[in-house]
Amino acid sequence: MTDTAQPIDAATATSGGRSLNIRTKAYLYAALLLVAAIVLVPLITTALGGFKTLGDLRGNAFGLPQTWMVSNYTDILFSQRYWLQMGNSLLIAALTVFLIVTLSAMSAFVFAHVRFFGSQHLLNYFLIGLMFPAATAILPLFIRIRDLGLLDTYWGVVLPQAAFGLGMSILLFRNYFRGMPSEMFDAAFVDGAGYFRFFWHITLPLSRPIIATVGIISFVGSWNSYILPLIMLNSESKYPWPLGIMVYRGEFSTDWQLILAFITLTIAPTVIVFFAAQKHIIAGLTAGAVK
Amino acid sequence: MAGLELRNIAKSYGAVSVIEGINLDVEDGEFVALVGPSGCGKSTILRMIAGLEDITEGDIAIGGEVVNDLTPKERNIAMVFQSYALYPHMTVYRNIAFNLELAGKPKAEIDQRVRAAATMLELEPLLDRKPSQLSGGQRQRVAMGRAVVRDPSVFLFDEPLSNLDAKLRVQMRSEIKQLHKKVGVTSVYVTHDQVEAMTLADRVVVLNKGSIQQAGSPMELYRQPANTFVAGFIGSPAMNFFSATITNGVARMATGEVFTFDPAANLQEGQAVTVGIRPEHFQQAGQGAGLTGVVSIVEPTGGQTFVTVDIAGQPTVVTVSGDDDVRLGGSLTLYTVPQQVYVFDATTGRRISKN
Repeated sequence: MTDTAQPIDAATATSGGRSLNIRTKAYLYAALLLVAAIVLVPLITTALGGFKTLGDLRGNAFGLPQTWMVSNYTDILFSQRYWLQMGNSLLIAALTVFLIVTLSAMSAFVFAHVRFFGSQHLLNYFLIGLMFPAATAILPLFIRIRDLGLLDTYWGVVLPQAAFGLGMSILLFRNYFRGMPSEMFDAAFVDGAGYFRFFWHITLPLSRPIIATVGIISFVGSWNSYILPLIMLNSESKYPWPLGIMVYRGEFSTDWQLILAFITLTIAPTVIVFFAAQKHIIAGLTAGAVK
Repeated sequence: MAGLELRNIAKSYGAVSVIEGINLDVEDGEFVALVGPSGCGKSTILRMIAGLEDITEGDIAIGGEVVNDLTPKERNIAMVFQSYALYPHMTVYRNIAFNLELAGKPKAEIDQRVRAAATMLELEPLLDRKPSQLSGGQRQRVAMGRAVVRDPSVFLFDEPLSNLDAKLRVQMRSEIKQLHKKVGVTSVYVTHDQVEAMTLADRVVVLNKGSIQQAGSPMELYRQPANTFVAGFIGSPAMNFFSATITNGVARMATGEVFTFDPAANLQEGQAVTVGIRPEHFQQAGQGAGLTGVVSIVEPTGGQTFVTVDIAGQPTVVTVSGDDDVRLGGSLTLYTVPQQVYVFDATTGRRISKN
């Protein structure tokens, strides 16, 4: 009756089941190392390059620096410009993520749970956004943003970014919501919850993995976005970092080591955010694949 | 607490009709089980009572008030689901308290009611756990706690035990029965397991293809099945059926075997009938010619052994005592008593024997 023994979960229990033979293992490691190298070598080269002098960088692009020029990094870290651009990027990314997550979660909930006339068409309409690269729409977008009087404001970048992010995010959210057991919805309905309370009290708390996934995808997309800010923003004080680098490059066109250091410092936040959210992302992308 | 009335309930999806003309009165405090094979519409009926499914035709009344257009909350029903449908991110306490919280009850009252329900279901030590840390039986009890705590007019159970293993199912069955005795709320219980239905319910309703075949007390259904469907569905192992024709007031099979029975009304000579005999009603000694056949399967279960005998070329299941020495390939002669021979009209399926 009141047995308190914990049930063993077969899905998480360590299995000593099948072990690989040595050749398969060697092949696996070789393949994984190769893939990892493709990602890691440019990253490490960039980070190390930031510590070199220009001459060192030209003569010895891939090796360790002869003298560690820590000042390359500290100069940037103590410059006002770096923090201004990071702040701009962060503000734009945060607003974009907030808009995408709230809007797509709410609309995906409706698509997943409410059957209404034309829902399929409306969903398709949203999904068309997936096939539309922002660059092709840049001219009409520019005109629209100009007419709205949002040129050279953060919103001029945030709104188009959020709009282009909705298609993918709605798709991800909707699939996740549909994977949730329908009996839970029935139970909540019997308990007296309507759609809104079910969304708030049940769906959202259970959607942490997918919120993290959509959040990080939108964040990285916005963080690396170049063309939209380039078109929409004019004053340097509002530039996010990809535009900042362009200006930086214009000034220090020969000082590659400084540019490498700058790049390293700007991608660091995304790497940190990604590692922090990694566990949730994996859970989010595979959710619903198996029961 | 209140009675429940279904008046001429029908449900169709477009042109496809799944439920037809269901009439059912459940008295205040009664425990009724809806039983039938998969796809017979029993869960749909339950969901219609709950308000999770629209009714195409007819009325549902709870406590005399028609509730067709009310939400589940307004109907004041509680439901226990097959998958328990607990909220995985909430503790047991919050799972039970959730509907009271939504109803905006004061904190002190919520606490007092949750603890009372937990005490009744022996859940107190588990209140701080999450559903993932509970075993199947404990989850089931939490699901019941969630239903009990709100003091509903009607309890609805949708196959609540089918996810449990056999031993736990028997245990939970008696717990549900005790719970019903304690709270005395009108209950409707859906199951495909006739043993569950018979052991739990005051009244069993057998459904097939969206309509009621027979409603009555468990023993009534067992002793006086209205038609071949009910006869075959109630009782385990299932009743054996033989095709026969009425000749001189007895049922005669094409191969010559004869069954005598008590007819309920005048018989028509030459009428095609189906003879039904329960496995446990065959006897190994008796009067008359008896039926002889070769034993083709022996299934011991301990106290009883189920023996399949080929009679007139038809496999027939017979229940014998576990102590009987029955050999595979041996021959067995079986006798029947007229009071335990059920005869049904072959075309309508209706029972024409007295029992």
